[in-house]
Amino acid sequence: MELIEKERRRLLQSAARTFGLSGVVIAAFCLALPGVVDPDLLPSVLIVLAGQAGALVMVGRSSHIGWVALTIVLGCGALALAQLPWAQSSSLALSASLAPLGAAGVGAVGMVLSEGTGRWLLWAVGTLTSSLLVATAGPTSGLFSTPAIATLAGWVMTLIIGLWVTVGVQRAVLRIENIGRAHHLERQASETEAQRRQGARLLHDTVLATLTLLAHSGVGVSAEALRQQAGEDARLLRQLRLGSTPMPQFSGVYSLEPVAETPLGTTLESVKQRFLRMGLSVRWHGSGQVLLPSDVLDAFLLALAECLENVRRHAGVDEADVTITQGDDTLRAVVTDAGVGFDPADVAAERLGFTESVVARLHDVGGNARVFSTPGAGTTVILEVPR
Amino acid sequence: MSGRYTPPDESTLGGLVRPAGARSSTRRGTPTSTHASALGSGFLGLGVAIIAALQAMLGIALFLLRLDAYPSVIPVVAAWLLLMVTFLGLTITISASGERLPDWLYAVFLAALAAVVWLDFVAIAPLGDIGRHATASVSVGFVLLVIVTLRSRWEVLLATAALGIAFVVAILMSTPLTPVTIPMQVVIVALAVGPGITGVLLVSGFERMLKRELDRVLVQSTVAAPRLAVGMLASEELARLDLDAEELLDAVANGEAPLPLPALYSSRASTLATELRLHLIEGRRETWLFHAISESEHLGRRVTVSDPATLAGLLDDVQRDSLLAALWLLAADPAGASSTRLVTTALGPLDPNRASTGGRLVIPVRLEVTGMKRNRVDPGVWEALDRVGRYSDSTASGTVVIELDCAVDNPVDAARPQ
Repeated sequence: MELIEKERRRLLQSAARTFGLSGVVIAAFCLALPGVVDPDLLPSVLIVLAGQAGALVMVGRSSHIGWVALTIVLGCGALALAQLPWAQSSSLALSASLAPLGAAGVGAVGMVLSEGTGRWLLWAVGTLTSSLLVATAGPTSGLFSTPAIATLAGWVMTLIIGLWVTVGVQRAVLRIENIGRAHHLERQASETEAQRRQGARLLHDTVLATLTLLAHSGVGVSAEALRQQAGEDARLLRQLRLGSTPMPQFSGVYSLEPVAETPLGTTLESVKQRFLRMGLSVRWHGSGQVLLPSDVLDAFLLALAECLENVRRHAGVDEADVTITQGDDTLRAVVTDAGVGFDPADVAAERLGFTESVVARLHDVGGNARVFSTPGAGTTVILEVPR
Repeated sequence: MSGRYTPPDESTLGGLVRPAGARSSTRRGTPTSTHASALGSGFLGLGVAIIAALQAMLGIALFLLRLDAYPSVIPVVAAWLLLMVTFLGLTITISASGERLPDWLYAVFLAALAAVVWLDFVAIAPLGDIGRHATASVSVGFVLLVIVTLRSRWEVLLATAALGIAFVVAILMSTPLTPVTIPMQVVIVALAVGPGITGVLLVSGFERMLKRELDRVLVQSTVAAPRLAVGMLASEELARLDLDAEELLDAVANGEAPLPLPALYSSRASTLATELRLHLIEGRRETWLFHAISESEHLGRRVTVSDPATLAGLLDDVQRDSLLAALWLLAADPAGASSTRLVTTALGPLDPNRASTGGRLVIPVRLEVTGMKRNRVDPGVWEALDRVGRYSDSTASGTVVIELDCAVDNPVDAARPQ
């Protein structure tokens, strides 16, 4: 609120400056024409106008009311000075030249005088003085002085601009606040929804595995098994989309509810089932009954599934061994295959697959992964997570 | 290719694939691209109409005063009637049709105004002093103001320029230029083009100000985010990816897609898998500060943040609010001109030896503002920084460097965030 108030003042100040300066320039040009002002007085008038222009520049920069007052004083001074010597019948050109000075050059400050009693008072004084001074330059039409009326109109219009912008900003700020509140709620909802979808990690793991199979056109897997798997995954995604908590159909082991600790063994079984359907048989060794925090378990399972997927795709064998061992503070899985192997140095570092999905995610939960492989001698991956 | 399932146009998806880390900056929403009249420049238009009406009344009064001087009154009366009909018709149409002005109506409006100017000039040309006798044609400049909130500013400026040129041509053709007549002609031309120019400047300034305020209020909502948050569009994109995956898998499951999959499908599956993986793994790496800056048009242009350890997430609500306010002011450019101002924000690294009393962590924050003098820094900046932490500042070759020490609760002591 304070910020926009400041910006509103700034806008009105700079508008007053621009408007005022153009008025001063036009007036100075007209007054400088031969025969409009007494030639001896012209330099003094122009100097006063220059001073007024300086004051207007400061009105644009600072909200101090002193600059506004100085503008009015210098402007009225110029209005009076240009008419010297008094009582001489003044020309039509003079009063026409003074109108832009009175209406725009001085009247521009009306834009910044719309708030507070003191400023209203200053506005009234400025309006009266400058209109009267312009009027003394002589009537242009019957008894009326059109330039004086124009000056008065200029002051009124600038005041209306000031008031209108002020009220307009206040109204807009209320609206913006409402939009802001709605946006805040929307952000919270978006955050919750993202958490819900990201929280369904096991679901996404199986979806990702299936998509990866499909990315390789499903080669190496029986069409029937692939269709079954795809149908199962699509069903889970549909449930997720409809807002329920998906429960995988087979073996009843995927639990996507947020549980603090999940037993590892039953979940491993489901991974095994999944890979069996794709043609890779996984042999488990060691204890499967470990309790892990759910985020660690997620990362561990994802890493394990990625490793097995790599075996299935690249190793050229149809079986792999996974040995699970527990230390005091770590859980370790060793994934071994007797496949073709590869040279770890040959794998480009920027390849997304392994580094991103396995290493990064294990690092997230404080674990790590190491790969040992030689072409022709199989591959061993060691995954470690904290317990 | 048989079956109902057709992969969506690849360009929509391919266009969205981007390197990790560049996310949310490429497809950030522009919430501030709302139509500005929804924010109250329509209200501004009402004020403009009042000013135009006021001026028109003055013009009519002036015309009636000089009624005797005209050789033929009929064209001027016609001009005024046409002007009033146009003005009223326009005001009513605008308020009835919800502040819109279709092209054809705009053309009719301009044609009517041109006719007004022509009629007025025809009537006063024999008098040999356009500046002194123009009335309805001057009001045209003010009536043009009414469209300033409805049409693009170039259209308004063009119309204003055309009016100014019409005046200049008419003056050159009919008025002998002497030092006595020149002031009146200059003033009348200024009076004709002044309203349009002032109106365009003021309304565009007003709209810019409100858009910026809207931007600020929208970004403000990031302050309440958890330590690591997803951006505004993350869930939307994830939902879209999930839906795309679901459709693809469905197509495979019910046999619409033949197995083994044709290349079109498999490349789509591979793209989806990559994107989904990116979203799931890279999702929560950014803090509220990153989102605030990437979602804001105002901050995004000038502020960069480097926070490898996501320390910004540790700041409490007051500190976040104040830091955002300070950055906002530092990035603001009162002059509105393009400048080389850049604000670089760096958080960390943590100094393990500097845990302050009470086990609170001290996060060093360094703000570097290039292209700004120390004395031009808004005082509100220091006020806001005071609420963030202890600060010291220095100036070196046009760069203001502010070093902040923010004391925050150690996350190890508190319950795990989220």
